[in-house]
This record gives sequence, structure tokens and C-alpha cells, in this order.
Amino acid sequence: MQKNFFRRVRELFGRNHGAASDLATRFRAFQAVLDGNNRTLEAMTEMGEKLGGDYLFDVNYTRSAYAELFAAVSDSLRNFNLLTDQQYPQLGEILTRIDRLVQRMLTGSDSLFQGQVVFYPEITWDLAEEVGGKNYHLAELANILQLRVPEAFAITTAAFRDFIRHNGLTERLAGLSSADKTTLEKLRTEILAGTFPEDFCTSLTAAVDKMRNRLGKKGKLAVRSSADEEDGDFSFAGQFETVLNVDCTVAAVQGAYKKVLASLFQANAISYQRQLGYDLGKLKMAVGCVAMIEARASGVIYTAAAGKDRSSMAISAAWGLGPGVVDGLTDADLYTVAKEEDPRLVEQRIGAKAQMVVNSGASGVKTQETPAALRGQACLREVEVMDLARHALAIERYYKIPQDIEWAMDNTGRCYFLQARSLRMDEPADDVPDKGMAAVAGSYPVLLKNKGIVVQRGISAGKVYILRHLDELEHIPKGSILVARHDSPHFVQAIPILNAIITDIGVPTSHMASICREFNIPTVVNTGSASQILPHGQAITLQAGEEGDMVVYEGFVQSLLREERQKGAKLRELYEVRRQKYIMRYIAPLNLVNPLEQEYTPEKCKTVHDLVRFMHEKSVQALVANASRTKGIGGFFSRQSAVHRLVLPIPVQIQVIDLGGGLSGKVVGKEIGFAEVGSVPLRAVLAGMLFPGVWQNEAAPLRGADLLSGMTRAEDLTREGAAVLENVALASAVYVNMSLRFGYHFNMLDCYCSDTPRNNHIYFRFVGGAAAITNRSRRIALMAEVLAEHGFALKAKGDLLVGRLSGRSREELEGILEQIGRLIGYTRQLDARLDSDEMVHILAQRFLQGDYRVAP
Amino acid sequence: MAKHSIMVIDDEKIVGDMAKLSFEQDGYEVETFLNGESALERLQEKRFDVVVTDLKMKGVDGLEVLRTVKKLYPGIKVIMITAFANLDVAIEALRDDVHDFFPKPVKIKELKASVQRALGEA
Repeated sequence: MQKNFFRRVRELFGRNHGAASDLATRFRAFQAVLDGNNRTLEAMTEMGEKLGGDYLFDVNYTRSAYAELFAAVSDSLRNFNLLTDQQYPQLGEILTRIDRLVQRMLTGSDSLFQGQVVFYPEITWDLAEEVGGKNYHLAELANILQLRVPEAFAITTAAFRDFIRHNGLTERLAGLSSADKTTLEKLRTEILAGTFPEDFCTSLTAAVDKMRNRLGKKGKLAVRSSADEEDGDFSFAGQFETVLNVDCTVAAVQGAYKKVLASLFQANAISYQRQLGYDLGKLKMAVGCVAMIEARASGVIYTAAAGKDRSSMAISAAWGLGPGVVDGLTDADLYTVAKEEDPRLVEQRIGAKAQMVVNSGASGVKTQETPAALRGQACLREVEVMDLARHALAIERYYKIPQDIEWAMDNTGRCYFLQARSLRMDEPADDVPDKGMAAVAGSYPVLLKNKGIVVQRGISAGKVYILRHLDELEHIPKGSILVARHDSPHFVQAIPILNAIITDIGVPTSHMASICREFNIPTVVNTGSASQILPHGQAITLQAGEEGDMVVYEGFVQSLLREERQKGAKLRELYEVRRQKYIMRYIAPLNLVNPLEQEYTPEKCKTVHDLVRFMHEKSVQALVANASRTKGIGGFFSRQSAVHRLVLPIPVQIQVIDLGGGLSGKVVGKEIGFAEVGSVPLRAVLAGMLFPGVWQNEAAPLRGADLLSGMTRAEDLTREGAAVLENVALASAVYVNMSLRFGYHFNMLDCYCSDTPRNNHIYFRFVGGAAAITNRSRRIALMAEVLAEHGFALKAKGDLLVGRLSGRSREELEGILEQIGRLIGYTRQLDARLDSDEMVHILAQRFLQGDYRVAP
Repeated sequence: MAKHSIMVIDDEKIVGDMAKLSFEQDGYEVETFLNGESALERLQEKRFDVVVTDLKMKGVDGLEVLRTVKKLYPGIKVIMITAFANLDVAIEALRDDVHDFFPKPVKIKELKASVQRALGEA
């Protein structure tokens, strides 16, 4: 019996000892993850810059830069696995997948994507090549810009490859470079007579069935080309076949599909490719199957009217289907709209439109006489023209280049977008010379000059939107220039609609900076005071220069904006430059934004940037969890030399476990005071708790119901925080994990506070209370209001509040931690006093102004 | 005034293509070559104002281009770019009167400034 007892003690001791050294190991792994992440982000920034068009680079550069980035993220992942006990094995698989995609681009080999049919909502950034440019852009309009696009699915380049292989044509395509007319004609005939692999038939049948279910039996499809490069940097406009009004059956779609494929090898398309220097036979054809709209009217928008006029757009419209306009079959209406912040109709010319294109009863379309009542009548009302113009401007802003957009309006007046592609126009050779620009810009008042760091150069205009809280992001008007105190990866959700970003505080290597470069949004960070100087709603033009110089002009400097549009487009057209830059698609975009969202899962990681962000967040969580487990054996620790009892002049005692540098060098004995605390974040939060006036000592007026509520909740809380039986702080010089229990509620704070802002975070969790749930929720609302003011991302539910903040400088975090310390003291018994919702806001505002009175 | 002409030699097509586009935007006349041999042949037919060459190429490399140009056409300025920055090679190139020496990736703006200096425009 006694022997058994000693064995158990030894086991216990051994396990605890293991836990202690385990924590130190994990802390080192945590720091190694941060280090690996930093190197990855730096390599990413460097690559984004070098591949952006300002540098001459070659493939060797891309290879070596990517190798460096891959090594860094691999280091990070190895340490992350150590820290999390291999809890996320999917991350390794994702990194392997990304690596395969990148290697494929570096070596120019075929896609490994096997999917043959993809519906538009499932088309993600990494499928651009597989679904072809036209499908991809249309899906972007729907998925990112939230514009109305008909139901549609893409048949991928993988299906094309399989079809070619299945019909024994692979070799023929490879030898196409010197093909003559006869050879091409024969190839087309064979494609039209080709058969389909079985698995393709299965996928297509499922897709067609799904489409018919949505559109009804009478639903028809437009089957359109979408070659892997089409509508990308080259438009291929009108080079390939489009088959309209196709029955929604497998046989009809297959027939139309083969017609579209065959058109890849028709004479005009071949000559177009030759002119652009393509290797013939290398272009792969994806196809879009798009629901036909019963169009009352259709047309085209050029967001830059022809000729030299870039300040207005041209909208053409005809009755019936699109070919009436795009094929020039009828004299369409032409509406000219001035491209101002609020577009303005400046001219309309109504065509006679004697003929119109309509669906023929069977498959196909036909041209017929326009009914007399419609002839010479305008197809669009002014309000409809303006609606189209506003959407078109948003599309142009998103792609940063004038657009050629096809649209159709149904009988109920709903407008659908059918295509958006770059509008190619010759640059006006004799436009305003450079000197003129400077003179014109010089006549506008300068609001801000040479402040901050240019993250993404460019010239952009819009109205200032001063962002105070993250939850305003969804309300920002399209085309705004976002001005904020801090940069934040949360801005990604608004980036498609923003024209520029300016922040007071920030670094060029942040998550947000990478995103801005990826989306090519002019961005300046760290200006110090832009949010104080630029008035909300003010129209401004931001000129962010190559050499890091910047100017903010009052008003829209049209000459600068015109100059910007003329630059930059050409280098991007180079095939090899595009190929190299495509690699960044698998590296830079950030899909994970809010760490508190439930969808924050490994499966959502699609890029290196996502992996880095995921690892950072989960590393913090793993460290927090591990620290909590360690504190659960506080009884053991309390006998160890690394543990000290912190005695403070307020009624709270904290056990401090030193992870290295957590205490100052002069500690003697088990008891320490505030002066002996060496940990930067712990000192800051304690300073706040000790601030005169915040520590509420009066007994709170608890009512019977409160007490009952507190007692029934006690069990829950004990279970939730079973390991946390004492107030414990695990601290190193730059880190603290602290649990504080006051009666029935818990505060948990985890903070890394170093000289590298990117590594820094605060994770704050508050739960419980003794008062009734309404009062406890009010306390949560008050804390949320205060934390939101400091830029925390927050999640509140009942009496639980979770707040997360990252990427701030050490000095800022110290200030915020001090506020949290005050908040911890101030709110300790506050739930019992919050008798009305009004009190919440009043007290929160008082708190923010340094007034800690709780009396109404 | 006749356009200034620039010869760009690099065995990676993308470098020549990018340089051509960038310099043509500024009004220069640009010809690109994928190896030193064809470039030197072309120099026998046409006079260029500046030669921008990669250092490491199969066959006639950048140093050989530099020496030949300096010997046969001493008025032409040579700018060297290389992915393999190596101090010894740089010293050797300087000894052979290279006008400028850039590691890749090279900032287009800096390369343009160097060309302007070579042409005495700056």
C-alpha cells in the first residue's frame, strides 16, 4: 500500500516535472513559429515587390525567392506541429498542394486539377486558369463584387485535356506550330466528331440536371468559350464561337461544347494567337454554360468612351438579345455618361432599331423586325442607365483598367452582367505632357505631403471614410478612400470596393500591406495623423509615388487620374511577366480574416499567407491552453523556485511563474512586489489594476436573484476553468498568460509584447459574474465598447466576451494593457450595479475619459 | 533628333522583353538578343548607343561582350546585369571599363537612370 503510494507520488512528480519543461519547450516552439512566419512574410513582401513590374527579373530569381519563402514557412510549420502536438495535419497537405501548384508554374507543366465541371459560386482564386478568363471574371463579378450574374457552370481545361486525349489528338496539338489550313480543317472536323470520356459524361449530366432544376424545362443556355488566357490580359474578343439558346440537355450541351472547342483552331483565332506570340496548340479551352436571360434589352458598356475621351463611358442598348449590339446588327441606342463620383447622363442618341435578335423557338437565335411600338423608342430609362453606369464604374475600379462589359435586362428590369473584359485602346500619343500634369496638380490644395510609408504606389481618388470601428466596414460606400488609425487584415473584406487606404499607424510588411499589393490598391501607412487631418466625406486624390513620396490633394485631380490609367498596363501584358506573377496567387491572398469566426479552419487555408495567419492564431491558442494546464498544477509549482507570490496593495494575490525574464534580477525569497516584475506586459496590466480609483472596493448591492444565479453558475464556471483554481501569471520578459478569478467571474489575458509589432497580440477573455444574466450581459457590453475603442476584434455572447488584437507596437500594447488592467479592476463588481442599458454607454464613455465613478 | 538605340542581351527572354517595353515607352529604340554571338554580329551592322548585357550566358558571356565592345566600338557604353553577384567579376568588369553593374532583379528606374547617365543626359 505504502509502496503504491510512493509510486504514485513519483509518477505525479515526474508528470509535473515533464509539464514544466514541456511549457518551456512549447514557448520556444511558439517563438520559432513567429520567427518562421516573419521570414515568410518578409520573403512574400520582397517577391510581391520584385514581380510587380518595377524590376527586371528572370525565372532564376523567382525560383530562388520562392525557395527561401518555402523554407521559412516549412520551418514555421515544423515548430507549429511541435507546439500543437500535430493537431492540424491538414496544414502540411495544404502546403504540399501549394508547392505543387507553384512548381508547376515555375516549370510550365500541366495543371493537376482534375475537376471537369465547376459551378460559379465554387470558383475560387486558385481556379482562374482551370475555368478560363471569361468564366473567372464573371464569377468574380458575382462572388466578389456581388453583382447579378446568371446561373452558370464552367467546363474546365481539365475536361478539355481529357477530351483531346480521349480522342487521340494530344500529339496533333503538340505539332501544331507549323500547321497549314488543311491540317487545321481536319483537326476541327475530328473535334466535332469526337466522343466524350465516361467520367466527363457523368459530371456533365449532374451539372445539366442541376441547371434544369433551377431554370425549369424551358431554360436555355449560352455555351461560350473561356480559354485559359481569354479576357485575361488579352481579350480574344470575338475569336471563338459562342452558341446561344442551347437546350438544357446533355446532348445539346455536348454538341455546343464541341463547336466551341473546334473554334480554337479556326483561321482567325490561329492568326490572333500567332500575332501575340503564342505557341499554337498550347492554349487550353474552358467553356462557360450560362443561363440565357429572357432579355427585354441587351447591350455593351465601354467604361472609357472611344477615342481620347476617358472621362466618359458609352452604354449601347438594343431590344432583345446581345448580338444585336455586339455584332452590329442594329443601330443601337447610345448613352454617354460622365464618369464622376455621381455619374451624369450627358447625351443620349436613340436608334431606330428596325431589327432585333430573339430566341428562335428551337435552339439558336434569329433576327426579326422590331415591333412598331418599340422602334425608335429608348431601351433604357435614365434611372436604368445610371444604375448600369454605377456598376460599370465599380467593375472598372476593381480591375483598374477600362472595361468592355456585356449586360442584359430581363422583363422585370433586373440587370444581369454577362461578361467583363479589359478594354484595349490605343493610348493617346499627344495627351497632356508630364509638365502639364504637375502644373494642374499644383493648383489643388495639398492636405498631406510626404508622410508615412508607401505600401502600394498609384494614384487614386475618392471620398474619405474615417473608420472608427471594424463593424463599420460593411457600410463603407463603394469607391471610398479608407482612412484609419491602424491597419488591419480585416480591411480585406472591403478592399474590392475601396480606392485607396491611408493609416496613421502601420508597417509595410503587415498582412494588410500584402493584400493591398495583391489587389493593387494605392496604400500609405504610418502617416501619423491622416485620420485627424483628413475630414470624413472630403473628396481627395492620393498620389503615392515610387520613391515613397506621397501627396494628398483636395478634390479629384482628373489629370493625375488620367495619367495613372495610361501607365502600367503594358508591362503586365508580357506573357512571361504574367506567368511569374501568377505564382503570387498561391502565396499572397488572404482568405482567413477574423480569427474569432467559426470558419477559421485549416480547410479554409489556400495560400501561404493563410497558413501563416492560421499558424499564428492557433499557436497563441495552443500556448494559452498549455499555460492553463500548467497552472492547474500550481500546487506543485508553488513549491518550485520559479514560482513567486505577488503581493499587491489591492485585495488580490497572484502566483507568478517565471518563464525567463518574467521577474527582475533582484528577487529574494518567495514574495515579490510590483517592483520585481520584469515582464513588460505583466507590468503594464498590473499598473492599470493599481491605478488610483479604478479598484472598486464598496460592497456591491447583490439581490437574492443575483445570488441564486451566481450559485447555480458556480458549477459551470468551475468546470470551465477547472484547471484555474488560483490567480496565476505565466510570464517571460515579453509574454504573459494570466488568469484572474474574482468571485464568480474569470479574466484571462494572453499577451505577447515585443519590439516586433507583427509578433504581438492580446487575447482577452472574460466570463461569468454573480448578478442576473441581463446585468452580466450589460457588463460585457460595456467592456466591448471600451475594447472596440482600442480596435479589438470582439465576440460577445451572453456573459462571455472574447477580444483579439494583433500587430501593434510594444508601446501601444503597453498603453492598451494598462487600460485593460483598469478595466479588470473597474468592472470587478460592476454587473450588480448596471441596472439599465443606458448606464452601459454612459459608464463606458466615462471610463474612456478616465472617470471611474460608478454612481449614475 | 534620332532616337537613342539600346541593345539588350540576356538568355532569358523575359528580361529582354521587359527592358524593351520599358525603354520603348521612354522613346528609345531597343533590340534584344538571347546570346552574345548574335549580338556581336548585329554590332557589325548597326551602331548602338548603349549595350545592356547579362553576365552569365552560354557561349559568349557578358565579360566577352564587354571586352569586344570596348575593343571594337570604344564609344559604346556597356551596362552589366547579373543574377550571380560576385565581387571578383565586378572588379574585373570595372577594370574593363564597364559603365555600370547591377545585380538582378534590377529596378527599371535605376537602369533607366544609368542609361541616361551613359548617354550624358543626366
